[in-house]
Amino acid sequence: MNKQILTVTKKEIKDNVRDKKSLMSSIFMGAVFMPILFAVMINFIFNMQKDKAESQLEIAISGSENAQSFMNFVKTKDVKIKPFSGDPKRAIENKDEEAVVVIPDNFSENFSKGTPAKIEVYYDATAKGATNVTQGRIKSLINEYSQTIGMTRLQLRGISPILLRAVVVEDHDVSTAQSKGAQILMMLPYALILGLFMGSMYLAIDTMAGEKERNSLESLLLNPIKRSHLLTGKLLATISFGLMTMVITLITFKLVMPFMPLEKMGVTIDLGLKNLSILALVLAPLAFLAASLQTIVATFSKSFKEAQTYVGILIIVPMIPSMALMLMPVKEKLWMMAIPVLSQNLIINQIMRGEQVATISIIVTILGSLFIGVLLALAAIKLYNRESLLFSD
Amino acid sequence: MIEVKAISKSFGEVKAVKEVTFTAPNNQVTALLGANGAGKTTSLRMIYSLITPDAGQVLIDGIDPKEQPEAARKLLGVLPDTRGLYLRLTARENIEYFGQLHGMNDDDIKSRTESLVKDLRMEDFIDRKTDGFSQGQRVKVAIARALVHDPQNIILDEPTNGLDVMSTRGVRAFLNKEKQRGKCILFSSHVMQEVSAVSDEILVVSDGKVRASGTELELHQQTGQKNLEDAFVHIVTNGEGHE
Repeated sequence: MNKQILTVTKKEIKDNVRDKKSLMSSIFMGAVFMPILFAVMINFIFNMQKDKAESQLEIAISGSENAQSFMNFVKTKDVKIKPFSGDPKRAIENKDEEAVVVIPDNFSENFSKGTPAKIEVYYDATAKGATNVTQGRIKSLINEYSQTIGMTRLQLRGISPILLRAVVVEDHDVSTAQSKGAQILMMLPYALILGLFMGSMYLAIDTMAGEKERNSLESLLLNPIKRSHLLTGKLLATISFGLMTMVITLITFKLVMPFMPLEKMGVTIDLGLKNLSILALVLAPLAFLAASLQTIVATFSKSFKEAQTYVGILIIVPMIPSMALMLMPVKEKLWMMAIPVLSQNLIINQIMRGEQVATISIIVTILGSLFIGVLLALAAIKLYNRESLLFSD
Repeated sequence: MIEVKAISKSFGEVKAVKEVTFTAPNNQVTALLGANGAGKTTSLRMIYSLITPDAGQVLIDGIDPKEQPEAARKLLGVLPDTRGLYLRLTARENIEYFGQLHGMNDDDIKSRTESLVKDLRMEDFIDRKTDGFSQGQRVKVAIARALVHDPQNIILDEPTNGLDVMSTRGVRAFLNKEKQRGKCILFSSHVMQEVSAVSDEILVVSDGKVRASGTELELHQQTGQKNLEDAFVHIVTNGEGHE
């Protein structure tokens, strides 16, 4: 390799390693903070749901005096009754209660006549997290009571309750334990790819727009070095930061993995040496692509701030396929592996589901991302050769 | 030696430089004297081949930068109009970086840096990070960085702009010393005393053209004026005098 190119690369790395702010934003935020935040979030969600499912059910009931036998039934089920009065709708809206059970005045009248007696359950179906667990448990409790009473009534009339069950649904969930838990881990590909984008972002800005803002570009261009070599050197420094961040992100994930309640969630993600190598292999060309893309955008910017805005927007790029896959999962096909970012998403998902990643998928991913990366790098060099580079107003 | 043959440059509708021709020989300080916006910086940028002339030719020691840009740049040391340093690097590291880009080996860089440190009196701050340097310190580092490869031809765009008296004298003394060593020095300025103090030949630039040239004395004689400032005004206003 050309010695001048390495001179530029070494200088840019030395220059930026001395910048605490750049190290913080790329390495710490991208590679260390993200995985830890990820682990904390998973623990939090898991514990919240577990707590609700296992803890004693507490029901806010209004009009309990209207249904003595129901109340007796409820008491046998180890449920804590919380008398409620007031407007149930408002209590839900104000988040005072997760769910409110209202037993209307005419309950016992209908109940004695044998016509369906109504119990109202108020809840917010759009509410997140534990509320759904609570309202589900309340409903199944009421259903259980209803069935008990119904069956007793039939038996009293000499009819077998079995007759009621004309058709029975039997669940056969064929998803493996792995793919169930993977739903929560859908954010993982994004976290990995984001880390990589963040890692190279600061260098792309500093080596391009920073050079303009410091007014050092003109002097630099007067050295006897081809501009293509100059840009290659800068690009290599930017890529190396992206790669470094990617590797640290993978290691951090490997380290925080034991602190995620994966087994209890029914997931086992195999982050052994083989899978880590596959991840590093398919993510590496993406570092090349990310650095080129960020460099191009930073070339157009006059100042650090301007570049920060535009390059920051680029972080949305890896978000698009990640989000799309979260909302509409697809069966991976080979042609998809040629599309950068999408292919890395698919492969990370495969690894999380415990599937074997086909060698051909890895090869197509690497070649596809490298191809686009090279095109972008060439575009960056072309832009850097413009005379108007210095005066981009 | 720098030879400039009828170079022109337009930016859109604006003709910044119109057929500028002159020669800056070795052993001499040549000055481009002109008001702000006269076309000095654009002319210099074409000479050090940062931008390409629309027409005309530049020869650096006989080499056309259009054909051999890297070879021409090796023969040039340039202090441009914008002279920012790398703030997280020390003054020495700033100089070393440019030396490496010139393909110099570590020993050469080291000995050349030592002599520049001595000539420009940079002993106190050579190993400090350049963040927070005074204007004078910054210009000295920028000059040292530009001349680390000891080029035959030295171009400086407004070298003493914004410098205090002591720093200005330091830079002047340095340029004189380089001239004694046989260098070709070309600089631009809008400050009369500056040009008067260091230059052997003066080119008066106005509206993108060289209006007059010669030693200071010759300019006095051409215009019938007694000092450089009056001579300058006489030349750029076509003898109509003050404003």
